[in-house]
Amino acid sequence: MGTIPASLETFSSSATDPILAWRTWTLAGSRDLGQVRLLPIAGDGKPWPVRDPARAACRRPPRHHIVPGFGCRCGLHATRAPDPLRRTRDPAVLGTVALWGRVIEHEHGYRGEFGYPQRLRLACYLCFWQWGLPGACEVVARRVGGRMVPLCGPHLELSLRYGYRVGRLLPAGHVEQALLSTYAVDVLRSVVPER
Amino acid sequence: MDIGAPLRIIEIEPVSLPLPETLPEPERIPDTEPAEPG
Repeated sequence: MGTIPASLETFSSSATDPILAWRTWTLAGSRDLGQVRLLPIAGDGKPWPVRDPARAACRRPPRHHIVPGFGCRCGLHATRAPDPLRRTRDPAVLGTVALWGRVIEHEHGYRGEFGYPQRLRLACYLCFWQWGLPGACEVVARRVGGRMVPLCGPHLELSLRYGYRVGRLLPAGHVEQALLSTYAVDVLRSVVPER
Repeated sequence: MDIGAPLRIIEIEPVSLPLPETLPEPERIPDTEPAEPG
């Protein structure tokens, strides 16, 4: 992103309803699923708070600038449509997110000050990357350290055939239900953007 | 994730989260896996 002319900052407006946008997360959880957490694909790696809004922060100069800064890259990122998220690195969860507070609108998405997930579903990252659909996950491979990788049946079979170390396999339905209960949100049933 | 160039700033009044008062506890799976190293 290049330098932003200061005059563009004057293009502002106010609203009352949160912006609904699309986002992917990675996923981590305990063995008994007592703790399942969304984590950002990039950034500080801190889990998204449970039943409390996520709040953007920035360490880039100038210090103590308003977050998200218009000319910065900080803020909680989300896209207008799900398709660009296919290129994110190893997503485990696809969903919609509400953004509010100070929000920077971009050509293809947003950066928000506050955010909370609205609808979530596990995503087989290989299906999502190939076809733009999250795929029907059958298992979640829990690796050492708690990182969780949802997989559909065919991609689980492929992973095993080529020696990918999947770790402990958990039923995807149990993991998804734990995720939805933890964040008190509904399942994402469609990847068609709502109007 | 490339979200393109910034267009404008929108100020949205903070909202309270529409969370239910009580929720069922997540279903737990019996912990039979050996402890992980580290």
